[in-house]
Amino acid sequence: MSDGIHVLRGDAAPPRPPVPRLHLVTDRRLRGDRSLVAVVAEAARAGVGAVQLREKDLPGGALLAEAEVLRRVLGATPLLVNDRADVALAAGAAGVHLPAAGLPVGVARRLLGPWALIGRSVHGVEEARRAADEGADYVILGTIFATGSKPGRAPAGLALVAATARAVALPVIAIGGINQENAAATVAAGAHGIAVMSAILSAPSPAAATAALRAALGSEC
Amino acid sequence: MVRNGFNLGLYVVTDERLSLGRPTAEVVAAAIRGGADAVQLRAKDDLSVREQAALGRALRALTRAAGVLFLVNDRADLAAALDADGVHVGQDDLPADLARHIVGPDRLVGVSAATVEEALAAREAGADYLGVGPIYGTLTKPDAGEAVGPERITAIKARVPLPVVGIGGIGRDTIAAVMAAGADGAAVVSAIVGAADVEAAARDLKARMLAAR
Repeated sequence: MSDGIHVLRGDAAPPRPPVPRLHLVTDRRLRGDRSLVAVVAEAARAGVGAVQLREKDLPGGALLAEAEVLRRVLGATPLLVNDRADVALAAGAAGVHLPAAGLPVGVARRLLGPWALIGRSVHGVEEARRAADEGADYVILGTIFATGSKPGRAPAGLALVAATARAVALPVIAIGGINQENAAATVAAGAHGIAVMSAILSAPSPAAATAALRAALGSEC
Repeated sequence: MVRNGFNLGLYVVTDERLSLGRPTAEVVAAAIRGGADAVQLRAKDDLSVREQAALGRALRALTRAAGVLFLVNDRADLAAALDADGVHVGQDDLPADLARHIVGPDRLVGVSAATVEEALAAREAGADYLGVGPIYGTLTKPDAGEAVGPERITAIKARVPLPVVGIGGIGRDTIAAVMAAGADGAAVVSAIVGAADVEAAARDLKARMLAAR
């Protein structure tokens, strides 16, 4: 598979939207007895920067249906689809977020075009460098703090955020146990932004949680 | 372009769990030597996309060298990335018209259909061929539903002008009945990938298929 993105690189900035700073990553299991679309709509009204639809157990058809519903309630807020560039394209999403062992960025770029946001999950500096080399627009770096979403995984801590942000020019979005208490320290360590699941999905008020996270980030999300 | 004329014939669907521990690329190579006309990569759920892509590249090289069709199950993005000849979608997967949008006008879009209604809808959505089944009971796809029998192929062929491959539990004793019911080809999983001698099993099925055509 050849890399089809060369024309987009060079001196001119890519024609893509800025990388949002507050990402909500979905997981239906964390939303309590509310509908996912209701929680996402509330987060969007409260100013969440982007929503990444990540429902690994859904087959393509159901994932597409979910993406289409979310896109409608999100309005101008970008929707990113985890893993599946085909579903992202079919749903008219703003981009795709690729797992660490997902599609090459060049493949996703060829399908989705120059305006799509394409991110990559990474777990360390070397993976982040590779993501930068293959043309990702941002990386999501984890797992920073201990989290119930990925039990078993040892938290890397803010030192990894700092090391990764120093090593790559790409925006680094930190994930894993990020909440209102540690969001500001995460950004101070060098993260461009944060990605959360339960901090919004499981909050009594997703809107209030979103607003508090935005405040902790300090500026435009 | 492949859509202008294609022969699905003996259509092998990969299944690593049934391959008796042999690498899928090796199994597919043997099936091609035995006369397979088409190969569909159907990866296990727990295989990462990177692993699927690596396997897919190997199968693409094998199929291209042999002039055999190569299709990817479900993932239209992977089908495009691998330069496959097409994508095959089930009723729970991306709709055929959207799969077409992703793989472009030159690749095949195959759709699984169990009923005449599903077959008509697939045709409407731009499918190039239908996988009709499960014809017989199958253990490879526990979610595949009730067996529909070869007569369902006849019913669908009478209403829908698309090539049809039967799928589901087809083996050496049943492939002739599937072809006699009007199928253009037969998709085979365990009777090939689970055979002790894959090449011989494919050759035997192919001979029975050609004799029944």
